[in-house]
Amino acid sequence: MNRLLLGIALAALFIVPAAAQTKPPTAQEILVGVDKVRNPGQPFRLTNVLTEYTNAKPSDRVTLVVFAKENMQTQQFSNLVRYIEPVRDIGKMVLMNGSNMWFYDPSSKVSVRISPQQRLMGQASDGDVVTANLNKDYTAQLLGEETLEDADRVNRDCWHLDLKASSDEAVYSRVEYWVEKGTNHPVKGKFYSDSGRLLKIAYYHKFVEQLGGMRPSETIIIDAVDKNLVTTMTNSDMKAQDIPDSWFQRDYLPRVKAD
Amino acid sequence: MRAAAAAICVLCAPALAQENSDLARIPQSVDNAAPPASRAHGKYYVEDDFVLSSARGDLLVALPTPPSSDWTNRSSFDAYDQWALDEKLSFTFSDRFNLTEADGIGFPAGAARNDLREAYFTWQPVPESYLEFGRINLKNGIALGFNPTDFFKTRTAVAQASADPSALRGDRLGTVMARAQTIWDGGSITFAYAPKLHTPRPLDGPSPSWIDPSIDQTNTADRFLFALNLEIEEFSPQALIYHESGRTKFGLNISHPIGNSIIAYAEWAGGSEPDLIADAIAFGKSTGTLPPFVPVLPPTSTAHAFRSDLAVGASWTSVAKITLNLEYHFHQAGFSGTDWRNWFDTAAADPPATPELWYIRGYASDQQQPMSRHQIFWRADWSEAWVRDLDISGIGFINLTDGSGMVQLAANYNLSDSWSLGLYGGGTFGGRRSEWGSLSNATSAIFQVQRYF
Repeated sequence: MNRLLLGIALAALFIVPAAAQTKPPTAQEILVGVDKVRNPGQPFRLTNVLTEYTNAKPSDRVTLVVFAKENMQTQQFSNLVRYIEPVRDIGKMVLMNGSNMWFYDPSSKVSVRISPQQRLMGQASDGDVVTANLNKDYTAQLLGEETLEDADRVNRDCWHLDLKASSDEAVYSRVEYWVEKGTNHPVKGKFYSDSGRLLKIAYYHKFVEQLGGMRPSETIIIDAVDKNLVTTMTNSDMKAQDIPDSWFQRDYLPRVKAD
Repeated sequence: MRAAAAAICVLCAPALAQENSDLARIPQSVDNAAPPASRAHGKYYVEDDFVLSSARGDLLVALPTPPSSDWTNRSSFDAYDQWALDEKLSFTFSDRFNLTEADGIGFPAGAARNDLREAYFTWQPVPESYLEFGRINLKNGIALGFNPTDFFKTRTAVAQASADPSALRGDRLGTVMARAQTIWDGGSITFAYAPKLHTPRPLDGPSPSWIDPSIDQTNTADRFLFALNLEIEEFSPQALIYHESGRTKFGLNISHPIGNSIIAYAEWAGGSEPDLIADAIAFGKSTGTLPPFVPVLPPTSTAHAFRSDLAVGASWTSVAKITLNLEYHFHQAGFSGTDWRNWFDTAAADPPATPELWYIRGYASDQQQPMSRHQIFWRADWSEAWVRDLDISGIGFINLTDGSGMVQLAANYNLSDSWSLGLYGGGTFGGRRSEWGSLSNATSAIFQVQRYF
């Protein structure tokens, strides 16, 4: 099951840019802009492909359909994730609704409650590299303005932010973030453990029009601990969908249809 | 201003060069990623399990029918799929066909076996409300090792290689029933009715034909279930009422996260019923396996009383990707220490009674209920142990009265998206006058291969 949990945090992800700003923003205002990029402002579904590269060669792949809706009270995303591949995992589901998290296997027809720690097993923590609500979970400090190459080797003028965790929901204690000036496109992120160890490096690119905004369709995650490991998260088929709140409970897991 | 900015850029240059050097680690093949898969349902695979086992030679209470083979090979084709017939109607099918080889098994009569797990229609007349008809696997219960509220588990077990309760729960027969469910924001209600369609098959009766759906195991009484799920303060309580043949049982499931890595849970069911011995002997007599005049052995009261079943436990997950589950199981109808002493003493004093004594244990297994009143269950899973595609796990039961138990360790490795290998090893331990130490099976090893399509 644990392998299946990889990617489950992804649901809250993706989203993108806000309108260009004319006045120098504060660090927290930049973060708000990034969150607007992440949040399309309506419930949606998308298809996400996680491809793992070991020693620069594709070694593993998982395809998911993600249903996401923001809880307006908590500002957290509720997510339903359904596995499309590999074949051994077809139809398996993960529910994340705050701390109410369940895993469902259609073969056994059993729902198992999982902890936030279990959610982060496997490559799942990759999802948190791009998770939403940075403004809620982190306090930002502006370190400066820098010109940085993005994943396509194009120079981007960026704000360099230093984020410190400010809520229990924050997965990483510290994050460095580079945000393109004017668009609030995330360009790069570096994610650190409590001890200050660099865990992951993320590049956001391939911005495309999705649900009324330009959003990164691919995130490249470089594992800073396992030097041979790189994971890409590619999202497609992003659609607005009316998702009732009743979907985000364990008894709905057997009812979710990916078609 | 520009000069200042230029100065900052100069100062930042080494750092930026470092930042840009991260790009060198992005593989070129990233740009050639394959498109996402289009199939969204259906799971089909073949599996082969080769089992080697060793038997105890010094059983205190001899088995009526000793095992005839110390090896078994089972080849299976497993299918699960769902089809949307129209916007509101769908069909679900789940089935497993087994071909077994072992000493003493005739071919093909005893070798082939088809287990129709599920075949049912789902109609959704209004959003989030469902009516279902057919053979359905209806499962309840939050615990892993013993599920008191899994009322439809009785007599549904099929041949299994693994002793893991999760495997037993995953591959079992469904029950022919009608089920209605409605889900709303914050809860759900389920009502199920399973009719009596057949008289019960005797426990050790002749093997049915390979295609027999075993309705005479799953639908031998009128049964009703009402379940209410609520999402309250992260406890996710579920209350259940179950009725079968004049007996009503109540059930409750509850769970709650503790911190970031612990889930605590409890599952309880209770109702008026006889104890295990009286229940088993009554079933044996009613199905003709035991003569009507045999006394109830070991001696016990046949009276009904309110009895409880409880599974309470917690799971803990470490940052090292290890998940541990520990559960305590209380089965009030099960054997106490006195019952176990009586079981062994009766066998010693009255050897012709041993078939009846073993019948009780077979009945408990068939009902998927613990033999003993108090036991511990543990489970450990280590995901991505040493290498990415290797999972190592273990399960075990310990009888708290006599200290005997069983252990099974497993290693599963995914060779590719389509191929998986599994290696299982385990055994039972305990004294000759203990629950697990009195069983024939001493050790076993399983080699498993799976190929998905």
